[in-house]
Amino acid sequence: MKAWAILLATCLALPAWGIEPPRYADDRAGSGLSHVYDGGWEFFVGGGVAAFDCDGDGRQDLHLAGGTNPSALYRNVSAAGGVLRFEALDDAAVALPDVTGAYPVDIDGDGILDLAVLRVGENVLLKGKGNCRFERANEAWGFDGGDAWTTAFAARWDEGRDWPTLAFGNYVDRGAPGSPFGTCHDNFVFPPKPEGGGFAEPAALNPGHCALSALFSDWDRSGERDLRLTNDRQYYRGGQEQLWRLSSEAAPRLYSRRDGWRRLNIWGMGIASHDVNEDGYPDYFLTSMGDNKLRVLTEGAKRPVFGDQAGKRGMTAHRPYTGGDILPSTGWHAEFRDVNNDSYMDLFIAKGNVEAMKDFASRDPNNLLLGHPDGRFENVGEAAGIATFARSRGATLADLNLDGLPDLVVVNRKVEAEVWRNLGAGTADQTVPMGNWLQLKLRQEGGNRNAVGAWIEVRIGARTLSREVTVGGGHAGGTADWIHFGVGTAERARVRVQWPDGEWSDWIRLYTNQFARITRGQSQAEPWLPPEGEDGS
Amino acid sequence: MTDPWQRLRAWLAGLVAGGLVAVGAMAAPVGDERAIPERLDQAAIDAGDVSVEKLIRVGRLWFEAKFTRAEGAGRPAATGAIIPTPAEPDVLPLFFRTAGPDSNACRGCHNDPEIGGAGDFVANAFVSEGFSDADFDTVDPQFSNERGTPALHGSGLVELLAREMTRDLRAQRRAAAAKARREGEAVRVELTSKGVSFGALTVHPDGFVDVSALDGVDQDLIIRPFSQKGVFTSLRQFTVNALNAHHGMQAVERFGARYTGTEDFDRDGVADEVGPGDLTALVMFQATLPPPRQVLPRGAGRRAAVAAGENLFEAIGCASCHVPRLPLDSGVFSEPNPFNPAGNLRPGEVDRAVQVDLAELAAASGVETDDAGRLMVPVYSDFKRHVIADGERPHFANELLSQRFVNRDVFLTARLWGVGSTAPYGHRGDVTTLHEAIRHHGGDAAESRRAFEDLAEEGQRKIIEFLLSLRIGLETPR
Repeated sequence: MKAWAILLATCLALPAWGIEPPRYADDRAGSGLSHVYDGGWEFFVGGGVAAFDCDGDGRQDLHLAGGTNPSALYRNVSAAGGVLRFEALDDAAVALPDVTGAYPVDIDGDGILDLAVLRVGENVLLKGKGNCRFERANEAWGFDGGDAWTTAFAARWDEGRDWPTLAFGNYVDRGAPGSPFGTCHDNFVFPPKPEGGGFAEPAALNPGHCALSALFSDWDRSGERDLRLTNDRQYYRGGQEQLWRLSSEAAPRLYSRRDGWRRLNIWGMGIASHDVNEDGYPDYFLTSMGDNKLRVLTEGAKRPVFGDQAGKRGMTAHRPYTGGDILPSTGWHAEFRDVNNDSYMDLFIAKGNVEAMKDFASRDPNNLLLGHPDGRFENVGEAAGIATFARSRGATLADLNLDGLPDLVVVNRKVEAEVWRNLGAGTADQTVPMGNWLQLKLRQEGGNRNAVGAWIEVRIGARTLSREVTVGGGHAGGTADWIHFGVGTAERARVRVQWPDGEWSDWIRLYTNQFARITRGQSQAEPWLPPEGEDGS
Repeated sequence: MTDPWQRLRAWLAGLVAGGLVAVGAMAAPVGDERAIPERLDQAAIDAGDVSVEKLIRVGRLWFEAKFTRAEGAGRPAATGAIIPTPAEPDVLPLFFRTAGPDSNACRGCHNDPEIGGAGDFVANAFVSEGFSDADFDTVDPQFSNERGTPALHGSGLVELLAREMTRDLRAQRRAAAAKARREGEAVRVELTSKGVSFGALTVHPDGFVDVSALDGVDQDLIIRPFSQKGVFTSLRQFTVNALNAHHGMQAVERFGARYTGTEDFDRDGVADEVGPGDLTALVMFQATLPPPRQVLPRGAGRRAAVAAGENLFEAIGCASCHVPRLPLDSGVFSEPNPFNPAGNLRPGEVDRAVQVDLAELAAASGVETDDAGRLMVPVYSDFKRHVIADGERPHFANELLSQRFVNRDVFLTARLWGVGSTAPYGHRGDVTTLHEAIRHHGGDAAESRRAFEDLAEEGQRKIIEFLLSLRIGLETPR
């Protein structure tokens, strides 16, 4: 018996075989980041975090929604490969109350990222001034922030326009009779003025079904980017998930059963998109209560007929995996990122009870689903060390210390945000890299400088990894700047870009384990060096 | 594989297999045809339980072993690509001259004039990327390049030189980046290491780098000294690639479960065919192969010709690329290489690196030291890629595919140490004499070749005599 016990103990002490999760270190205590998303019913939703470089040093800084607390901006001062450290920035233009989330986007095309700030009340566009300073631009840009309860945002650039079209998704219309049930607010789209310089009158997207996430995405690779909204069935009546076709020539049109669109009723909270099945078209992961969904085209790209593959691929993540609670989960932010750089995309899902819903898990840890070569996903939240029981909402997976490994920041209701440093296969004292990686930026002339709407293809061996450059999705927050690819054992990659107008770049040769910028019209990329030198050498 | 019971079963299976191997190491069972005499555990190496001498000895056994199907030879469901790439199972036979596997043992090709050496033309390999399906990529030989077998002697010193050069170039880039950021202005830096220029790069204050003026080195500034194109960073990377391509023996660190989700990626029924410890042994054997040396002929006349030829070699410009001696700061070879990419064991993945001081080995081969105590490695190369063919002399551009970002007419400067023992010549091994090989030089070498051709025949012969004195092993001098 003793011998068997020793054998078993030895076995369990062996390193895990198979696709390996990264390990995360809890860096919050020394990080300088201290932030709580708080508030009453209106802030049961929201709680987004935006990761973007606001001071031009190449590191992604953070904007965190605060609910009834002021939103906060943190400058990322992490050393390359080091522990995660931030400095709180004091900017009255940013420290707004009643913020549910924010998305970084270069609205005026000046090369500095701006912020679209979502609020319970007036939404605010903040113009980036450089060095992480911002100024309110609603008036200058002719933007009416309204007074809705805004919980979703997306942006796209239309052909020939230097300014983007902005979409704001709203939740319950608090002022409507009978609120909250059956009183979802309209959503709004702000087209740019034809002459540029600001926005024209918004168009209402009616009916609204209590959107909690929005994403412009080219689901059929037609060059048109339709607006997907995920909606909360808790409050709508007769509603469903929505896909809008928006055109500068015609009124917004909702895809219907006639088009092949299938009704789906979920507690839609967040959207993450990625070509999971590698068929060349984006798939959409939708968070909900209970089963989460992976919507995949089932009849090709001619019609928006989406079926579900979450169950088949082990992605439903519908119940807590630790903590003893067996009630259904509540999913919020979702984000695809290859956290172990093995070239197989992984998925993070923020979880947490709405507040005190007794039919749903109260101890509901966040998920980290590792992608496998056979297309399945496997939860490794506990093995990765990120399983906590806070009521999580927004999150970002960004390489905050520029070592090639995506780190993690999670915003929680009522308790401190979490800061997790990706250690790869190492320990808190020594990060050990996993697979090879590549991080890219795109640049082109004109207003859409960051090429939102472009597709990047990274060819490694016989596989092509593709990413659509989008603004939107997640839950109440998004990421801008470096676009991360895990490339496994590939030492070299060929990269090409389909620019937003459909033109393809040449194939560009890149060595992996580096950052690089691809500029339209140039056949060679420019490597970028992190501020404190290079990784590991 | 996170289910503990699944892990237990796999572990037990490994225990049984390991036991069989251990038994095999002691005394092979009757009728056992397996060729690998001993497996080494990297954890034991990390713990210092395996001596360097044993690593070298076991590495030699691996190098000599004619691998069998019982221990994983063949890759019925995988191509020879450097990235794990599945193939339609069992389409190709176990051995296949172009797509591989094309060899039983490392020694099958690397054997001239002794184990670890070069190979006859008959030992040429076909190197294709292997990413496409087998029918297209390999049955038609026009989709692969044919290469002669390079000698591996002295390759430990070669890898060390490359590491130091990489460090030099990266330090120069790092300093330029810091200066550009500090001063807010673009900084152009001329990149040099060990007296060799690798062009220039410009770092902008925002950290972006213009690499368009680099010369003969990859944009990541890693000196890759192995293969005739200079596309492999380390002996380990070269070995992992070669084991798969030529033998269908798949290394765990590249083809194992970490990156493929399975312990038997090539689906030949053998799991975890080559472990990290086995590879470490193979690397240590190759790294400690004695460096080539100059062996002077017996007669005084020939000796004088060698000396004169060496002077002429430098005088006509051959030495500008075939740099006679490169200084090496430290002869301590540590495994694994710090610049290895994922898919090859890296320093952070072991508790401690294996180390062996190659200085004594070098001294025994006549490698001198300079006043600073640096080993002056007589490698006759600049570790740099050059255009080696042109319209006038196109022979060395006789490949049909560019390889891993390196154009068809560009090759790493051949290391000439040992060249007197490694005929035939050229990357395809299709040149029978040194004289012909020199006359095929074009591109960056055109001027030196013309100078050679302008020499009187006696001068040309002296250069050849000098080159023939650069030998591998203990051959009888001419």
